[in-house]
Amino acid sequence: MSEKLKYLSQEWAAEALARLKKEIPEEKMNNISTSMTDIYRNCPDGKEHFLYIQADNGVVTRVEVGTGEPPKAEFTITGDYEVFARISRAEISSQRALMTGKLRVRGNMAKALKLASVADRMNKVLSQIPAIY
Amino acid sequence: MPRLLDLKDPYYIDNPGRVKAIQKMMQQQGIDVYLGSRIRTLSFITDAFCPWRSYIIVPAEGLPTVFTFIIDAIRLGDETWLDEDHVRAYAPLGGMDQIAAVSDFIRDDLGIAGGRLGYEDGMSTYTPEGNLTHYEFMKLQEALPGFDFVNAHEIVDTLSIIKDQGTINRFREASRIVDEGHKAARATLENGGFKGMTESVIGGIGALAMRRAGSVSEWNFAGLNEVSCGYRTGLGACTPPTMREIKAGEPLMLDFHSMFKLALGDHSHNYLIAPATKRQRWHADNFTVLVQLVLDSYRAGTTPAELAQVMMDCAETRGCADFVVPGCEHGIGLFGDEWRIGAKNDGPIPYWTDPDHVYRVNEMVICAMQYASPGEGIGFRYENPVLIMKDSCEYLSKYPLAIEEIG
Repeated sequence: MSEKLKYLSQEWAAEALARLKKEIPEEKMNNISTSMTDIYRNCPDGKEHFLYIQADNGVVTRVEVGTGEPPKAEFTITGDYEVFARISRAEISSQRALMTGKLRVRGNMAKALKLASVADRMNKVLSQIPAIY
Repeated sequence: MPRLLDLKDPYYIDNPGRVKAIQKMMQQQGIDVYLGSRIRTLSFITDAFCPWRSYIIVPAEGLPTVFTFIIDAIRLGDETWLDEDHVRAYAPLGGMDQIAAVSDFIRDDLGIAGGRLGYEDGMSTYTPEGNLTHYEFMKLQEALPGFDFVNAHEIVDTLSIIKDQGTINRFREASRIVDEGHKAARATLENGGFKGMTESVIGGIGALAMRRAGSVSEWNFAGLNEVSCGYRTGLGACTPPTMREIKAGEPLMLDFHSMFKLALGDHSHNYLIAPATKRQRWHADNFTVLVQLVLDSYRAGTTPAELAQVMMDCAETRGCADFVVPGCEHGIGLFGDEWRIGAKNDGPIPYWTDPDHVYRVNEMVICAMQYASPGEGIGFRYENPVLIMKDSCEYLSKYPLAIEEIG
């Protein structure tokens, strides 16, 4: 697709769900069932946005974006909009953002360790979506 | 996968029961949440080896949650009885450093906005006791406003002093393993085998034999197996082994440590490397008599001070009192639980043995005796875990008490 979608719009979320389902096979998702929410602070519109992703048995089943209270998730990652945008544009790795404290994780880190590679694969897919930030 | 608790296992420990006992004492003391950081506390609650800086958070009700350094979290999760949701990690990541992980968990996951937080502080003879550091204390106070921090380590100390059957069985096995280490060392040293051998190497030979027999560690907090030879025995205590060579005509002490399911094997044995002088033999014979006397004197109702007096009286009659250190024991428990005897820190010297502590049935101590003649370059050390019984004690290492002349 060549059309650019507005980052974190409903259209972007639909495209994200379709691509995650199509491009990451179950075995590459380690057959996991989990959920995570990214909380975007200091967004351009002044609001706080969220991106919620849910996987069941290795299949991404739900991608939801919005403002206000996000769905309850196993992991929560919080940071500035610009940090997430830079990760999506592949200008900074998510690992570096976490290691420098630009992003804060909540959840069981021991479990998260097993999901690091899965999150990395998902980030790569999301970064391929043509987007306007 | 966490380890399942098996009631039929001879080494079974009622860990959920331990947690409930802690929670009961927390309630009695008005403590809303307990933050354990000492190794002994982590061993006592998780029933797993926690060598990295770890924290265990015990809520007023329900299961505790342990946080450890991320590199070891999976192993810890495999070894403890706690399930995956109660084994967590900290890491150098935003929101996941020690302070953030622990304080966020207490405030957000447990939903405790304030109250009394029990933590662990004190003083110890060995470095990694695990008391909360000043930095951790200050930062946790900043991160948890509304909490009143109270030093509460005596809860775990009180509960851990009487040993349950599973713990006792583990100690028996740890002592059997230590004896295997001593057998291997003796077989190596005799018939001239000691020549050219260093303290470090004989310590390693003992370690290998114990690993093969089922041990997993020689206690990293004590400098592993402790070995001293020659003048280094003169203070009557072993130290971490050096590259000093074992030589003919000198004393040698081997203090081997094993660990079996967190129970600590600890037996010190002494030799005279031939040829021994009459004076060396006299010292050695004094020591074995004193050790046997003390072993025969352990029983419920006696105290460390009374045992020391029995020992010193005997030493006086034998003319060797100048060489005897007037103390016979140190505490012992699961990994990290050493030295202090008595549930309460109310002895005359803080965080040392209370000389008036009255032993009770199923307490366990290390009979730890020192004979020191530094001017002559000779000393001996005896250690053996003893289980206090009504009228006697069971000493767990069965390695024969003797100071042989070998060479």
